[in-house]
Amino acid sequence: MHGIIENLISELTRLPGIGRKTAQRLAFFILSMPDAEALSIAKAIEKVKEKARFCSQCYNITENEICEICSDESRDRSRICVVEEPSNILVIERVKGLHCLYHVLLGALSPIDGITPEKLKIKELVQRVRRDGIQEIIMATNPNTKGEITAQYIRELLSPMAVKVTRIAYGLPMGSDIEFADEVTLGKALEGRREL
Amino acid sequence: MLQRTEGIVLKTSPFGEADLIVTYLTSDHGIIRTFAKSPRKIKSRFGSSLEPLTCARISFWGREDSALPRLTQSDIIHSFHSIRSTLNCFLRVSEVIELTLNFLPEREASKKVYALLMNTMKVMESECNTGLLLVFYKLRLLEAVGFLPRFSGCGRCGKKGDCFYVSHGTVLCGSCSKGHQPSIRLSPGVVNLYASLLGWSIAKLDRIKPPEAFVSELSAVIDEHVKYITERSLKTKSFRAS
Repeated sequence: MHGIIENLISELTRLPGIGRKTAQRLAFFILSMPDAEALSIAKAIEKVKEKARFCSQCYNITENEICEICSDESRDRSRICVVEEPSNILVIERVKGLHCLYHVLLGALSPIDGITPEKLKIKELVQRVRRDGIQEIIMATNPNTKGEITAQYIRELLSPMAVKVTRIAYGLPMGSDIEFADEVTLGKALEGRREL
Repeated sequence: MLQRTEGIVLKTSPFGEADLIVTYLTSDHGIIRTFAKSPRKIKSRFGSSLEPLTCARISFWGREDSALPRLTQSDIIHSFHSIRSTLNCFLRVSEVIELTLNFLPEREASKKVYALLMNTMKVMESECNTGLLLVFYKLRLLEAVGFLPRFSGCGRCGKKGDCFYVSHGTVLCGSCSKGHQPSIRLSPGVVNLYASLLGWSIAKLDRIKPPEAFVSELSAVIDEHVKYITERSLKTKSFRAS
């Protein structure tokens, strides 16, 4: 019996942000749950691993050939928001107003780590722009060096095409104090200031 | 023990959910790797101070021989943001960083290499489209770490020679090279450029305009030399080629 719990604890510690103590708490909680609920978690994990795959158009996670977003006809199909990971789509989707298509690169360029354009879904993005008559690409890669370099690389790649490439704004997070901002972030916020 | 020093961020690698392993070239400890807690969160106190190339005053906590001390503070001295924000410039500086990481052992302080990197980035900030600066950095780094290729005479007897043997890391004269396959024939212009680069100061580099062919030839020989020592091509080099 002890061996089974120990096994569950060590399996749970594989999850990000879960240390041994949290894993122990979760393991004992799972043990106290009704059988149906605990098994439904296990089945959900099994199902997601069995059925989840990349959308053939945007590389979001889906269980069908084409994801829900790509097959949604009500979306603005002239704009594509480019993100690094599928999880970024969930965050951007929470923002109401941007009802467009997405493209997941599945990473960001990093010369020093050997992450070259061929290892990302950049070629596929260019094909989509060419094929679907896209008018705007919104670069929503992370606001760090890798994300920035990726955005610039894509902009250069798309420059011969008649497509507008925009970048999400930089600046200070809401709810923070200016006195704690570093010079680069504050500089970017000042650069991108707008008239009230 | 809490330690304070000045360092340049060479590389960051994601760790766990929102943490980072930050590799610094510091003035007092050489290359060190530190663990930074949650810098990828939007409201992190580290802000952009852990972005590659940032020169910062840092504090870290851990035993003196700790493999991964915990980064407790990082205050930007110079962000070098303009280098990071231009693709071509960043690719060039990435080559500089990769070379530094390949040749400098961890925890081995080298004020010379620290000053070299700092000065190179300062020059790159104002003018980064110069292949000469890259060659200058490579030569000076190899000199500092003891892997400088020898162009100025046979490595065995000191006589004149113009064929560089990658396997020996030096030029060999006709008699000493018997039995060896000749490697790379050096033009006199390249040998002069090599000697000059080892004599010039970085501040005077912009005054000299050697022919582009000499710079590319010298760069190619150094790259072959580096490839032989490290037994692999630079990743950044293949990125630029792609």
